[in-house]
Amino acid sequence: MAKPAVIVVGADKGGVGKTTVSRTLLDYFSANAVPTRAFDTESPRGTLKRFHPDVTEIVDMTATADQMKIFDTLNTVSPSVTVIDVRAGLMSPSLAALRDIGFLDAAKSGQITFAVFHILGSSIASLDEIAETANFMAGAKYFLVKNFINNTSFFEWDQATYNSYFHRIKDATELTIPKLNEMAFEQVEVASVPFLKFVANKGIHDEAANYSFVLRGYVRHWLANVWSEYDRIKLTDIVGSSKSAVRGGEK
Amino acid sequence: MPATPVYIVASPRPQVGKTLVARLLSEFLLLKNGKVTSFDINLKEPSLLDFLPDITETADISDTFGKMALMDRVILNDGMAKVIDLGFHAFDEFFTMSEEIGFLKEAARRNVVPIVLFMADIDRVSGRGHDMLLGQIPAPQLVTVDNEYVVRGELPDSMHSGRLMRIPALPTFLKTYIDRLTFSFTDYLRQEKDSSTELHQWIRRNYYHFRELELSLLLQKS
Repeated sequence: MAKPAVIVVGADKGGVGKTTVSRTLLDYFSANAVPTRAFDTESPRGTLKRFHPDVTEIVDMTATADQMKIFDTLNTVSPSVTVIDVRAGLMSPSLAALRDIGFLDAAKSGQITFAVFHILGSSIASLDEIAETANFMAGAKYFLVKNFINNTSFFEWDQATYNSYFHRIKDATELTIPKLNEMAFEQVEVASVPFLKFVANKGIHDEAANYSFVLRGYVRHWLANVWSEYDRIKLTDIVGSSKSAVRGGEK
Repeated sequence: MPATPVYIVASPRPQVGKTLVARLLSEFLLLKNGKVTSFDINLKEPSLLDFLPDITETADISDTFGKMALMDRVILNDGMAKVIDLGFHAFDEFFTMSEEIGFLKEAARRNVVPIVLFMADIDRVSGRGHDMLLGQIPAPQLVTVDNEYVVRGELPDSMHSGRLMRIPALPTFLKTYIDRLTFSFTDYLRQEKDSSTELHQWIRRNYYHFRELELSLLLQKS
């Protein structure tokens, strides 16, 4: 059985696109035939669950019972990949909790694959988290995700600020999520379906839908760009999937 | 079901005869099929709309809403031939969008045949625009239109490589005559009994070329 892999998607700031990134990850794994489960920490509401109800469970990361639900089952359940969408403000406490239960040590010793997708907002506060989070990152694959979905700019105009943050952590890999047309994004929100199903013009239960061809085109193009970023970092290798499945729905 | 053609009359330059060709083509399709839908995408100055108000709709592709309104109709295989008079402002926007949303691939899947009529000229902007289209549009679906009234001199070699359609220059007095808003090519053919007039032959010649073009493309698809 493949080594369990845990991917934490988080940021200390709200509205930077954590759930969007989690959704693209779930679509990516589903297209690559990697069995995946997800936990949504937007307790009690759950945004991720709205889009991927079949694989998503809502948990409260601060409650011990729910921590057990996630981590004690890592070796026993069949999906080997677990994606956790961490609610705004909970990133650092969650990582601290993971350290306390010995999870980070297990990752360090190689029993578990642990990856963190740290979504960045454009404010200095958001960039400051990098340093804070970095303390927990020994043994983890650390990805700094620059999310352009809401037209953010990342201090490219000020090279000094930019360097001081983005080059602070040695082993961090930068990922770029390009911008998606606003209207297309909203339509997918309204439809409450995974991006993949939107592209394929299907509803949540695979029934035929009637989404705009233009918006589907924008989403298809955008999703292909996001996935090419995941391909670039060899995400399927990271989570230990041996399958090189031909994925559907991309073109 | 037979394929549905979508004609896109385009150029990155103003005043090269786009609206003239869109008018001719719309009237030809109306005569041949009894129906046609034309779209006028000229941001500032509606033009095709002034000539053919009964069959023309305006469209604005400067925002996503406008793009949806246009493209979600154009992609339908509904048996209704369509003509798009693409203003020069909208040239880049349209083809960038069409590339991004995969218009040609989806059209091929749905048995819709986009045909780009590129109004040629010898300047650099036209050359670049044509090169861009060569990379995006399959060769049989890209027609370079040599409007002799506008093009002075030889077209660049790259424009000679694919399909070429020549529109002979009309004398100025006839040009002025057909530029009147009330002028209709088909009505002229019907009303002018003398089929040897220059204008009569000019219109018939252009209609003939459109017929040939459509036949070759649609037969190929079906």
